[in-house]
Amino acid sequence: MNAIFALVFLFSLLLFLLRDPDGFLPAMLAGAEKAGVLCVSLLAVYCVWLGFFKVLERSGISEKLTRAAYPLARRLFRTKNREALTPAVGNLCANLLGLPGAPTPLGVRATAGFLKENNRYGASMLFVLNATSLQLLPTTAIALRLAAGSVSPADIFLPTLLATLLSTLLGGLLCALLVRK
Amino acid sequence: MNFVSLLIPLLFLGVFLYALIRRIKLYDCFTDGVKEAVPLILSLFPYLASMLILSELFEASGLAEAITKLLRPAFTLFGIPSEISPLVLIKPFSGSGSTAILSELLTKYGADSYIGRCACVAYGSSETVFYISAVYFAGQKKKRLALPIAISLVANFFGVVAGCFLCKFL
Repeated sequence: MNAIFALVFLFSLLLFLLRDPDGFLPAMLAGAEKAGVLCVSLLAVYCVWLGFFKVLERSGISEKLTRAAYPLARRLFRTKNREALTPAVGNLCANLLGLPGAPTPLGVRATAGFLKENNRYGASMLFVLNATSLQLLPTTAIALRLAAGSVSPADIFLPTLLATLLSTLLGGLLCALLVRK
Repeated sequence: MNFVSLLIPLLFLGVFLYALIRRIKLYDCFTDGVKEAVPLILSLFPYLASMLILSELFEASGLAEAITKLLRPAFTLFGIPSEISPLVLIKPFSGSGSTAILSELLTKYGADSYIGRCACVAYGSSETVFYISAVYFAGQKKKRLALPIAISLVANFFGVVAGCFLCKFL
């Protein structure tokens, strides 16, 4: 990440120097402003989901879910640590259901749990599964097509599902083969 | 799309009813959860801000455009229409940026055109890789993220390739 940051930053900076030196600072400020706005909207999203998750946790539902998924999750993330597996399973469910914003807090918690026990493999696997998109219904794309006047906005469902299935399987497979614990 | 709009209300209904049966104090419990929201945001903020500053620079400097031009032949070789290559390139960096490009493409080429459908599949089958990596690994030491990031980018790319191919038939 440090290398990418340095590379992208320096090359962008060079381009700004050559073309439009006055645009450099405003661009950075615009990015920071987006971060501020995003954090406020994320705060709202996390309030709702974290409240909901606490109810799931205390009522024992999340534990039941983990118990049901445990045989699979244990192999997928190569750990028996329930503390990390519970949020990881929740993260995958929230992704599949396409609950907007809900996977993130669970993913953060699970990643911290995996790394605490030095399970780099589990953290990487969870990240790759998230970063290759698990969502079953491409809701944003369908909404945008509807807005653009599509005749049948949902007909991208099948190709999107197959494409994302392929990317997730490929990512998971590469992760299983290449990432060491 | 009716089922989808029912999903979230029904989810809350089911869970809250079950919690009431289990005699959970709903208000106390929900509030305890909300308490975690501010610390979470505070811990994520520095990473979010740096990432968004970077992605803004990437787009505004014209670097994204230059790389797109450079990669266009390679993209075409894999069957990705050159019109959607900016989308494929921006998506790993910025969710809002790629949404803007998608809606632009849909207006320009039409939602039911091959380009429009390809763009939607490319958008829906990939994810904001760098953004997710910044958030999930926020504040963690010993990240060694290069390999998982590379894997995700490669997997997403082939997902898009497959999607563009499938759009010809489905």
